Amino acid sequence: MIDNIIHAALIMTTPVLLAALGGLINRTGGLVNIGLDSMMLVGALVGVILAAGHGSWAVALLGAGFAGASLGLLMSLTITRLDANEIIVGLGFNIVAAGLVRFFLKSAYDTSGTLSLPDVTRLPRWDIPVIADIPVLGAIFSGHDILTWLAWTLMPLTVWFLARTRAGLRLRAAGAGPKAARALGLDPLFTRDASTVFAGFMSGLAGAYLSIGVVGIFNEGITAGRGFIALAAFYFGRNRPVMTAVGALLFGFFDAFQIRLQGRGVPAELVQTLPYVMVIVILTVIAVSARKSRGARL
Amino acid sequence: MATVVSPAPTGRGTVFVKPLVETLLPLLLALVLAAIVLLLAGHNPLEVYSLLATESFGSMKRIASTLAAATPLIFTGLATAIAFRTGAFNVGVEGCVNVGGLAAAFVGFTFVSLSGFLLLPAALIAAALVGTLWMVIPGLLKSRLDVDEVVTTLMLNFIAVSLTAYLVNGPLLAPGSANSATPMIADAARLPKLMRGSTLNAGFLIALALVILYWFWGKWAALGFETRIAGMNARFATASGMNVPGLVFKMMLLSGAIGGLAGGVHALGNVFRYVSGFSPGYGFVGIAVALLGRGNAWGILLAAILFGALATSGATIQLFSDVPIEIVNILQGMVMIFAVARFSNIWRRRKA
Repeated sequence: MIDNIIHAALIMTTPVLLAALGGLINRTGGLVNIGLDSMMLVGALVGVILAAGHGSWAVALLGAGFAGASLGLLMSLTITRLDANEIIVGLGFNIVAAGLVRFFLKSAYDTSGTLSLPDVTRLPRWDIPVIADIPVLGAIFSGHDILTWLAWTLMPLTVWFLARTRAGLRLRAAGAGPKAARALGLDPLFTRDASTVFAGFMSGLAGAYLSIGVVGIFNEGITAGRGFIALAAFYFGRNRPVMTAVGALLFGFFDAFQIRLQGRGVPAELVQTLPYVMVIVILTVIAVSARKSRGARL
Repeated sequence: MATVVSPAPTGRGTVFVKPLVETLLPLLLALVLAAIVLLLAGHNPLEVYSLLATESFGSMKRIASTLAAATPLIFTGLATAIAFRTGAFNVGVEGCVNVGGLAAAFVGFTFVSLSGFLLLPAALIAAALVGTLWMVIPGLLKSRLDVDEVVTTLMLNFIAVSLTAYLVNGPLLAPGSANSATPMIADAARLPKLMRGSTLNAGFLIALALVILYWFWGKWAALGFETRIAGMNARFATASGMNVPGLVFKMMLLSGAIGGLAGGVHALGNVFRYVSGFSPGYGFVGIAVALLGRGNAWGILLAAILFGALATSGATIQLFSDVPIEIVNILQGMVMIFAVARFSNIWRRRKA
């Protein structure tokens, strides 16, 4: 029972964590990415198409990441080079991507909403020999696929990247002081574009995780707003990788619980609101404490 | 971030050309890109577009259904514009549409003993009221604590959708009904139809009245002037003695009220109950409407009619040809993106 919940929660965490780390890098570089969900959706579709007919899962992952990255590049160029508002463009990308995906499914596969292809290669899950039999530990460490491992490896790497590398410093400079960065001879717009491409790549992977990692088919509602949950996660974590991962894990647990609670009298719809409520609460708490530390009266 | 749509000061004379180009360019680009999508899928874009045009404006009946489809978009466009012009980036109108629609339906099927003179206005007031209340939290957070309203209103959209889904699946589910919908509203609560055999109803007249009101208000009312100044330059407005946070709070609430009305009119005039997911993104399309209309009352009306035309003709062309209706979403989203892009950057080098 507890093992099942832990395992399910970790599975639900992976796509959110992948996209959230991408979005975190993106926001550190100065761009709030509302379009993560669109990149996830396109990644999920590309992933399942490439993995169909005994395709290679590695190729499928790369393709999905590349598709998400391309979308990210387009979005970033619109924002950085055409001075378009990031929120509007992000929302617009979500609408266009959802429309294009459904249009494509109807035109190319003559199906509406769901695409079920034969012989989809699923992401292999790796069982670790001894640990797999230990309760709790087995559920945590064994039976996961490459993307779950990637997501959790990237979390400390992101901490290190932001704090200790030259590129990480430049990324933070591009976000915190683009004018100063420019005066130092850096190119903050290029850095910002690169960070959006990375966010797109990660979201594409997250999408592929949902389609070829979890279910093996594609559905137009497959992301279920997880791109926005990822947004919630890095807002929850205040752009810090560790806290963002904690947020993603928390939302993963909500997701796993919500499935269990269905049919037990606890309305799943109310559990679904929790991530979003938590973000509003966290933002409020941050603002109140910031105001107190400035010594102002409420 | 504040000045997404700053309504241009309404001067006389020569300044007509630039806004016209700025309005038509995003539309044109979207049409061109969507044409490429259509070509790739093996359709003739010109045929599709002319079919769209005749299907939406070809006869009185089709015009009526275009206006009916435009009705909720006029509300959501105005709701978005009224917040944007004050510098409050409210992307939460979608949530207001949902809670407002449920509130109107609730009054409509609960207080059935009231006469039509009372029931219909009561239901509309309930919609506006609940929409207003829905914006109290982000409004307070924005004006008192400077919490980013984009994030809070975006999150509230998801909360609204889930919360209303919970209510219509549980406490407010129609007896004996398996799908997530409230009972039908009383006949007295229905908005009267304006034309036999079409869905055009009195909600459109309310929307028109609001457009005129918004135009007068923006042009002559002190508050209309203050909001515009606050949206264009908050520091100047503060220095001039305006209470900018107070203005932002008021306009967020007003935006919520109009968004709630959008849901109320949709529930009382079209669906006659609240069904989970009954808004096909009216709130988000409202953002595109407000942007394309450049925050101007008549611009918003025209943009809403345009998007209404797309929505209603898109449904018909899917029946008569094999062009998927999603071409409409693709167009709407691209208009939204291009409306905020500054294309002059391409041929003018950026200032260092």
